[in-house]
Amino acid sequence: MRKRLKRSSKNIFPLKIDELEHLLMREFTNSPDLGFSKYEHQNKKIAVFFITYQVQPDKVENLLLTPLLESKKDWSNTSILNEIPLNSGKEYQLLEEILSGLIIGKVMIYLEDETAVVSYDFLNKEKRSLEGAETESVVIGPKVAFTESLVTNLNVMRWNIRTPDLAIEEITIGKRAPREVRLLYLKSLANETDVNTMRQRLEDLEVDQVEDINVLMQYIEDSSMSLFPQFHTTELPDRTSYAILKGKIAVLMENSPSALIAPSSFFSFFESTEDLYMRWNSGPPLRLIRFISMFISVVLTPMYVAAVTFHYEIIPTQLLISIGQSRAGVPFPPIFEALFLELMIELLREAGARLPTKVGQTIGIVGGVVVGTAAVQAGITSNILIIFITISALASFTAPSYQMGTTIRLLRFPMIVLAGILGLIGIMFGMCMLIIHLLKMTSLGRPYLSPIYPIHFEDFNKALFRLPQNFQHKRSVSLSLKDSIRFSKKKAQEKKDIDE
Amino acid sequence: MEINVNVKSNLRIQAFYLFFIIVSMQIGVGILGVPRLIFSEAKQDSWISILMATVYIIIVLFVMLLTLKQYDNADIHGIHLDVFGKWLGKLFSTVYILYFAIALYSVLITYIEIVKVFVFPEVSNFVMGLILICLTIYGVLGGLRVIIGVSFVFGVLANWILFLLIHPALQIDLAHYLPLFQASFVDLLKGAMASSYTFMGFEILFLVYPFIHNKNKVSISSILAVTWSSLLVLAATMLAIGFFAAAQLERREWAVLVLFKTQSFPFVERFDYIVVAELMMVVAPSLLFLMWGLTYSIKRVYKVQQKTTLYITSALFLIGTFFFEKHFETQQVINFANQFGLWLIYVYPFVLLPFVLLKKRLNKRKGARSS
Repeated sequence: MRKRLKRSSKNIFPLKIDELEHLLMREFTNSPDLGFSKYEHQNKKIAVFFITYQVQPDKVENLLLTPLLESKKDWSNTSILNEIPLNSGKEYQLLEEILSGLIIGKVMIYLEDETAVVSYDFLNKEKRSLEGAETESVVIGPKVAFTESLVTNLNVMRWNIRTPDLAIEEITIGKRAPREVRLLYLKSLANETDVNTMRQRLEDLEVDQVEDINVLMQYIEDSSMSLFPQFHTTELPDRTSYAILKGKIAVLMENSPSALIAPSSFFSFFESTEDLYMRWNSGPPLRLIRFISMFISVVLTPMYVAAVTFHYEIIPTQLLISIGQSRAGVPFPPIFEALFLELMIELLREAGARLPTKVGQTIGIVGGVVVGTAAVQAGITSNILIIFITISALASFTAPSYQMGTTIRLLRFPMIVLAGILGLIGIMFGMCMLIIHLLKMTSLGRPYLSPIYPIHFEDFNKALFRLPQNFQHKRSVSLSLKDSIRFSKKKAQEKKDIDE
Repeated sequence: MEINVNVKSNLRIQAFYLFFIIVSMQIGVGILGVPRLIFSEAKQDSWISILMATVYIIIVLFVMLLTLKQYDNADIHGIHLDVFGKWLGKLFSTVYILYFAIALYSVLITYIEIVKVFVFPEVSNFVMGLILICLTIYGVLGGLRVIIGVSFVFGVLANWILFLLIHPALQIDLAHYLPLFQASFVDLLKGAMASSYTFMGFEILFLVYPFIHNKNKVSISSILAVTWSSLLVLAATMLAIGFFAAAQLERREWAVLVLFKTQSFPFVERFDYIVVAELMMVVAPSLLFLMWGLTYSIKRVYKVQQKTTLYITSALFLIGTFFFEKHFETQQVINFANQFGLWLIYVYPFVLLPFVLLKKRLNKRKGARSS
């Protein structure tokens, strides 16, 4: 690979049309995709070549070939560039550049014995239109989601943040099959160290290719051994633009329908754009529910296992009787019972995710209702445990980030095992390890658990709850932005006397 | 070894966290058993003993801070080196290292014993030791920032169990506190001495001082911390005295834990199990700080990699949990740690200060003469 690159980066011009055709045909292994047409015009040989399905053929004919061949002029490279009314004209001299241009849909014109090739863009990229978000569905607010086309995504982002302050840097990653990546941030706001770190990590990436932005995330995250996602990937453009306006950095990638937001703290994974659209006193309580449900999801089933296996003294007598009755016929120890049911829920979820929507619903009914009831009647599980398992499964789906939801669901399994071995002590050990782990983690070098540790009381307002807009006069302190004040506090909180 | 510690700017911490560092070091398993110890000496006047102990600790803190302020950014080992020279300094530092080890070991086996008495009578010391040591290794590997984070987060999270004491607090008999001022001065002093093991932990200031960014807030932060710990111990003791009859209290090893048994809710009947589990959050920061102090001190004094000592000492502690399984053996370890700490923490700073001041004056005279 290295050798070939070296050879092709030499200037090969000038040369005869036939030689050029021969060279290109060898590079493209005689592929019929390469359209190479030769013309004689005013006694001068002209070659026009492009990959047929990467360009728009009618536009090439109307806008390029017609003026080129019908004119009586004596063409040279400069006169082509000056007189053909298209804005994308460029000259290329290196074979490598010509090849990579052809691949993405450039049309090349070569006049015999010239020292360069003239190229015009007639890119023809197949793309789907903008659609509503699938994985991060919202009730109120913009519903449009990113698509696979980078140009469309950038277009949406530019319309969301209409300011020249928005910096969009281009970085190409992947050695063998390069992909375009864009770094988006606000020049007047984003922390420079963060931007530099991000740029450095992207530029230093030495891999063959990066398949998707979720793969890119795994390449550049701080700790790859952790179960927790360290960058937020979202498919909502408005969410991305809010993050950018807050001073964070976003990364967009060609062919990926989502954006990566950095740095992300643990608490930002539980934020939904709806928290902003809802009024301050009705939206954030829902966020509180998400936090609580995360805790329930991790702890509820292990608590049941611990209490039933070791510490039935904890359960009040009345409740103990009903639990005892429902467990009387169950032949397994609670830990196996719980693991079995958790596994079944995961099975249902996985089956539902893989199947088409219509069949998925049927699976839900068959799996959830029929098998659940049958399992209880057959005496394999107790119905109280089914209630607990269902609640904790439901709770895990409240996380607005799918990645975080998956992490929480996976965390349950070691917790259940610990609870089955050491009871409450085991659960507490698991919780302690979890918190220490979260304390150790960083996202783009910034503490994951901020604003809890290191503590920033001012940021509680944003990370944990939200006060009315006139109290939001400060930007997030933990991001150490260039401009930390949003608006004057004095003016916003001016107090008026009665009847003034 | 340098006298002053050169701390990278990203490792520096705010003095605000010193509050949580000291509180989490002081409040551990000791608070559960201390009411009986103080009560058996000072009876219903225990509160005077605790106040005396608090005042004394604040004096010790001032002496420690005065000692530390004589240097730019030194810790106890740097001071030892400066005052006593290379060999004697190393010897004194080694005493400190031994203290950290014995304190860590006493915390470890006390918590294991509480778990065995209240939750799992049959659990093997090895399993409990293993999970606690795992926790310690994992935390200490994160470095001082993470350990302070642990002390802060756990210190806040564990406070909910205080609300469980409201119910027993409403049932106390005020007559138990009367008559006032019956204990003799000697008894009061003995009572204050009995609280010394619980109040140990503020000596960590000698180690973390160089890491603190805003040194001017150190004294207020550490005094508030000591006051808060004293208030907690005072509350626990008064509660125990008010709740239990005198004869009962003298037979209760962990009186405060028994108090939790009285609280019950429609969905949870016995809170003492949950509290014993929750205690892991109270014990973990102490374990982490003591292990960090141990390994960091060895690194400072003997220049051994902190990771190496961490793994080796952890293995030794794990093996050590096999021994001392009986209650009286655990008590012996605690008593030994208590005696050791009493001299090292409560008396030694007063010995060290004159030496430091003398050395400083000598240096100044030398400097004046040479210039």
